[in-house]
Order: sequence, then structure tokens, then C-alpha cells
Amino acid sequence: MIGFTLNGKYVETADDADTPLLWVVRDTFKLKGSKFGCGAGLCGACTMHVDGEPMRTCTLPVTAVADRNVMTIEGLGTPDEPHPLQAVWAEQGVPQCGYCQSGQIMSAAALLASNAEPTEVDVDRALSGNICRCGCYPRIKRAVLTVADAGKDADQ
Amino acid sequence: MNTVNLSRRGFLKSAGIVGGGLFVGFSLEGCGDSGVLPIAGLDGAFVPNAFLQITPENLVRFYCPRDEMGQGVLTGLATLIAEELDVAPEDIDLAFAGAHPDYNNPDFNLQLTGGSSSLKAHYYPLRQAAANVRAVLVDAAATSLKVPAGSIRTDNAHLLVSGERLPYGQFVAHASTLKLPEQAPLKAKTEFKYIGSEFPRLDAMAKSTGTAVYGIDVDIPGMHHALVKRSPVAGARLVSLDAAKALAMPGVTDVVEISAGVAVVAEKFWQAKKAVELIEVQWSRLPLDELSSAQMRADYEQAMRNEPGDATAERGDMDAATAGNNITIDSEYWAPHLAHAPLEPMNAVVRIADGEADVWSGTQSPSTAQGLVARYAGLDKSRVRVHNTYLGGGFGRRAILTHIVEATETALASGKPIQLLWTREDDIRNGFLRPASLMRIEAGVDADGIISQWRAKRVGGNVMPDSMASTLPGLLPTALPDTLINWSVNAARSAMDGLVVDATSVEGLFEDYDFPNREVRHITLDHGLPLTTWRSVGHSYTAFAVESAIDQLAQASGRDPVQLRLDNTRNNPRLHHIIRIAGERMSGLSPASGHGLGLAVHSSFGSYVAQVAEVSVADGNIRVHRVVCVVDCGQVVNPDIVRAQMEGGIIYGLTAALYGNLEVEKGTIVQSNFHDYPMLRMNESPSVEVVIVDSNEDPTGVGEPGVPPIAPAVANAVFAVTGQRLRELPLRLG
Repeated sequence: MIGFTLNGKYVETADDADTPLLWVVRDTFKLKGSKFGCGAGLCGACTMHVDGEPMRTCTLPVTAVADRNVMTIEGLGTPDEPHPLQAVWAEQGVPQCGYCQSGQIMSAAALLASNAEPTEVDVDRALSGNICRCGCYPRIKRAVLTVADAGKDADQ
Repeated sequence: MNTVNLSRRGFLKSAGIVGGGLFVGFSLEGCGDSGVLPIAGLDGAFVPNAFLQITPENLVRFYCPRDEMGQGVLTGLATLIAEELDVAPEDIDLAFAGAHPDYNNPDFNLQLTGGSSSLKAHYYPLRQAAANVRAVLVDAAATSLKVPAGSIRTDNAHLLVSGERLPYGQFVAHASTLKLPEQAPLKAKTEFKYIGSEFPRLDAMAKSTGTAVYGIDVDIPGMHHALVKRSPVAGARLVSLDAAKALAMPGVTDVVEISAGVAVVAEKFWQAKKAVELIEVQWSRLPLDELSSAQMRADYEQAMRNEPGDATAERGDMDAATAGNNITIDSEYWAPHLAHAPLEPMNAVVRIADGEADVWSGTQSPSTAQGLVARYAGLDKSRVRVHNTYLGGGFGRRAILTHIVEATETALASGKPIQLLWTREDDIRNGFLRPASLMRIEAGVDADGIISQWRAKRVGGNVMPDSMASTLPGLLPTALPDTLINWSVNAARSAMDGLVVDATSVEGLFEDYDFPNREVRHITLDHGLPLTTWRSVGHSYTAFAVESAIDQLAQASGRDPVQLRLDNTRNNPRLHHIIRIAGERMSGLSPASGHGLGLAVHSSFGSYVAQVAEVSVADGNIRVHRVVCVVDCGQVVNPDIVRAQMEGGIIYGLTAALYGNLEVEKGTIVQSNFHDYPMLRMNESPSVEVVIVDSNEDPTGVGEPGVPPIAPAVANAVFAVTGQRLRELPLRLG
């Protein structure tokens, strides 16, 4: 058995040790918000936080997160209690098909947690690993900067 | 000249013609086995039609007949309902419709979402359906409260009667007993509350919290996971199979032969994934085994030189025009095969039990899904329930539903509920492709700046035959045998090679400009790769040829590219208008040092789009910094979604313009995933400004029309920067 903390709750799985974290979370723990896009760490649709770091979980064996903290989009916020990024995403109509957005938001949340005042270049750097096939990039960037600006205002 | 155009709009009708009247005798609409309305009746609800339910508790539910793949149709169509029923859009409970003829797209007469048709086709019918329901609720209130109907107003699902605010739900029981009017008056534009107003799309929060359900997210009791070992060459049959190693893997329950190859079934996805790699197979040899992209290109070039092709869209007198004192160009343009690569790979869940079946999948055609499950499971269509979900991207790819056939075959052979999932490698290597195109344009400008001759010619495959072949088995009655379906598809295939021109193969080559003398010729050259519609269809390649050629004409004749376009669109006022606006915007831009501007304009699917790209070139790399986009799509229903679709269309088109190239060696697609079939990423994405033209025309779509102009706009800008004219996609500097 491999144990880890999933969205604040300790869980254990009997899945094969080489099973990617994405599939343990989706198939075993039935959290479907994190998506499968490429299976090769190329598109970022599967991004979760492991001890606060954004990780591509479609290639990350579940053994690698033993006894670590995993957070998925479900742990970030809900429609009733959204994370500020999720609230701004909805207000600014960021998603199109929406399939990549869990990964985009997890990458953005990790960025803001480590850098409260990112520049456009910082946002590009943090999110260029996340593909949006619908081309929502201008809105994603605007939304991240909006949340960062709001955080700045709140601090003043 | 007597050319039958096979447009997608009319393709079934046309297929009937091509098939020699085969389809006479039954209507596609009433397929006989279509069943009752697939609406889950809410308790005590008023169900006035297939689209709406209103409960006594005042819940208003809308069953959206079109499929939400990112284009915003759920919000757009709900807004039409909201406007005429008088309910705030954000208060409507949204659901996806199942399969039923009442949900047919009026533009196609079948249940299909595509061709940027949804707002155009539903603008009046859905408003009318909602207005009729509002009218009967007013009638119900008037008769039960004994007040004149004319004194009653409505506001957000409430009736305002004699100073009181009463919920619609209070009158649904009575309304159910009244006759529904058929032609209740519609609102005038000046009365619009929601149409045209600024509010964010209704599905944005669900899609920002991981709670929107896509096909891949469906999980039902007992569900097993299947992956398919596929032939690297399209159409090869299984010759031998050794499944022993795969079957020995933990969790693997079944290995079954299906039409697409060998399906491996396991309790969990990862178990199936590891096992499918251990399947040992041999495939039949095919003529396609030796095919390469280089060979196809050489064949296209030879056909372009040697074959006259089929003429269409002729006007004026080409000989007289050629005799004039023209400045001429004669150029060839190339566009390669492409994959759609929606981010959610193809998938479906199918359960067959007790003489019934359920299918869960996000598709562009739920009725096709229903029909395919029925045919391959041997059931009547009325025994198949379709549960449509959000689509993780469509772009034309999700109108082809071979994955539903595969899931059905696997569920049947294994006796288990199956979720069948394609890998990204399956998607890039085994999908249906945007056809490659070689295009030639010979054109001349006279002394007055009029493009007095225009001769366009295209060589390539057609999307219609393969699209029909995979779709008709699901659309036609299950009683119709496969042999007759194959016969009609083959009849269409051979008709399009010499008898008729597939309209989607030449669309965009001739329509936009006045061209007093013009001719379009088409040569069908199909090497046998599976082809289908890709976002903006023929326009995705024809706009590149046309708008590059127009720029060349301007350059060759020493004319301003904006003025040349204005001078040759006098008969196309809406296009003329956006050219003028884009030209003004272009002259107001001050590009950074070393940057250049390029303009392209194109109409498709009834909408008009002009784009100005600001581009720089460094170390042989093309960088697009900024795009200004002007769009006329008639009456705007949701301005923010129009802007989003232009932004997204531009970025989708830029991926094709800068990277998209699917190559074939030995009959096999070379590329396999995003490392060698790259997508534009955020750090490469331009800023986009969208200007929406105010219009009183009826709405037209925006999902596709944003794509076509960007490749030529960038190519024209590259010319402005470097003096190099790039005539091949993807754009590569020499």
C-alpha cells in the first residue's frame, strides 16, 4: 500500500507502484477534475500540486508521492467557495472547452503562491507548459494578473 | 454548366441524389425507430416542447440541442431562450439533450453541431419556442386570475399581475391544459434584455473548478477500461494475434478483436495501458504501406500540371480577360495534412444490458452515436439512450465517432460496461485528417485596379466520402444493411471524382471578391488516408492561397493592399466594410522597429473576418506579437463569446500556420504527440484585439470564421518584413 495526503485527507492505494498519480486519483479515488491530455508530461492538463509544487502527474509514479501532500483542482476550491483564481476565471469567461483549465489554474496557483507579484514574463514562464488547444492564453494571462493585482491591492 | 454542389448542409439530401434515389421512401427525420423524447420528466413539470421544462418550484430547465465544445453554444442558445421566455440566463438550469429528431439542427436536418451553424439555425426557432411558452404562461395567469392578458408583464421567471410578482411555476399545471400558441410575437431588437449584452459564459465556473463532466469523466458501476492496439497503416486488417502476455497482466480481463484492431480490457486504465503494449500482432499488407508525404506531394504536382480538373463557379469570359492589358501572377500554394488534436482524446462509455444500451460521450452528433450503438449492438434505436457531455474540444473531430463503434464492439464482446479511451498517440496517428491541398492561382489586375481574371485550381482529397462512410451507418435506419450503405458511400466517392465537386474542397477560393471573370477547377486525388472536416474546413487552406495571391497582386501592380481589396469588393458590402475598418486600424498601428504588418480578410459560414498581424522575424523564427481582428457576424448574441472565438480561432490557426504538419512515411503518420506535433503555447501567443461590427443582420457563427485569415495575414506580414513570399504551410523561412 502507498499512502499520501489527498486534498487534506490521508489515503492509501493498492495500485501498482508504477501507476501514474493521475490515474490513481481518477480511477481509484474518483476525482475527475484533473485531466489526461498527452500521457507524456507535454500538455499540463494533469497538473496537481505535490507539496505545493506543480507536477505533471500523468508521468509521475504514485510511489513518488508516498507520504507527501497532493492537492488537485477539487482541493483548491469549489463553485460555492472558489479560489480567487477560479472566481476571476469565471468572471472573465476564461474557459472555452475547459478541458485544460484545471491544469492551467493549478499552475497559476503555484505561481502566485511563490510569487505574489508576477510579471507577464513570469506568467508566460509558469504557464507555457500548459497547452490550451482552444487558445485561451490571452485570457488566462489576464486573469492571473488580475488576481495578482487584487492581492497586491489587498496588501496595501 | 451543371454542377451539383455537395455542401455539408445538404449532404444527406445530395447523397440521396448521388445514390440514385436510394433514400426515397423514408425520411431521415422520422427514422421510424427514434423513440420518445429523451427528457427526464421533473416532478409535476410543464413540458411544452423538447427544449423546456418548468417545475411548480419555478425551476426552468433548458435542454440544449447543440453540443458544447468550447464555442459557447450552451450560453448562446440559453440566451435565446432567456430573452423570449424572460428568465435570467444564469438562472436557467442547463442540460444537454439526448438523441431525438426534435433536436435536429435545422441547417442540416440531422442532429449535428458544426459549420458554425448553431446561432444562425436556431435564432428564430428557439426564440419562437420560448416566446410561445411565455405566452401560454401569461394566458394561464390571465384565465385563472381573470385579468386581461394584455395587463400582465413578465420579469425573470415571474408574472407581474396587478402589482403582484408570481412565479411561472404557480401556473404550470394550468398552462399544461391550454393550447400552446405557435406564433407568439417575438421581441424587437430594441426590447432585448439579454441578447447582445455583456455577461460571462454560463459554464465558466464549472469549467474552472473541475466539476464540468466530460466523456472521459464518466464512471459507472462495473466499468472496465479499454485501449486498442491499432494498425499503424489506416485500414489494415488483423492477420495474427498473440495476446498471451497481455492476458497475463494484472487486472486484464479480456482481449477482443474489434474492427479497429485488438481491444485490451482491464479493471483500470493503467493496467490496460501496460497490457496493450504487450500485444503482438501482424497486419495485412496494403497499397497504402508504401505511401509517403513526398510521394503524395509529387502526385499532386503532376496532377496540377497535367489534368484540367472539374470546372465550377465559372463567371464571365476568361479568354477576353486574359487578352486585356493585365499585370498577372501565377503561383502555387501548399497546405499539409493536419490532425485536430482536441485536448480530450476520443473516448466513450458504452453499457449494453437486458436488450438496452447506454452511451456516454461528448460528440458533435448524439443521434449518430445512438445509431452506431444500435447498429453494432443489434438493437433498435429506441433502446439506446445517449448521454451527451461537455466536449473537450471538437474542431470537427468529434463528428466522427469510430470510437463509439469500438466501445460498442468491446462492450458486446467482453460483456462488460466499457470506457474506451484513445491515447494521444492514437489521436495523432490514427485519426481522420484535414486533407492536404495544392492550390494554384493565376490572376490579373487591369489598369483600373480591377482583378479582371481569377483562375483557381485545387488538387487534393475530399472530406465528404469518409465523413459519410463513418456517419451514415449511424444515421440511417438500423434495418438498412451495411452493403447498401457502402454502395451509396462508394457512389458518392466516385461521383466526387469527376462528376461533381465536393463544395467543401473549393469553398473560399472565389466567393469574396467581385471577380468579373473567374473559374475554379478541382482535381480529386485521394491516396486513401481517412479525411474529415477540420475547423473552418476548406477555408482553412483556401484563404491562405487567396489572400496571399491578393497581396501578391497588390505588390506586383504597385497598389496598396487595402485599396486593392476595397476596389474589388464593391459587390460585397459587408466584407468591404470590415476591410475599411481593418485598413484604418492598420494605418493607426505603429509597429515596433523591425516588425511588419500583414492584412488578410475572408468570409466563411456567413461571417466576415479581417485580421491584421504584427510580426517580426529573428534567427529564422516568425514571431506574431499582436493581432487586430474585425468581425461582422450579424446580430451579436454574446459579445464576450464572439471575442473569445476570434481569439481562439486566431491561436488555433496560428498553430497550423507556424507548426502544423502531419507527415506520412510508409503509410504511417510520423508524428505522435505534442513534442513533434507542437501546439502554440502561452509564451508564443500574440495579444489579440477584437473589433465587433454593429449589425442588424441575423446572427451567423463565430466558431470557425476566426481561423482562415490568420495564416495569410502572417505570411503577408512576413513579406512586409523580409521580402520573402512564403507559399507553403507551415510557414518556414528559406
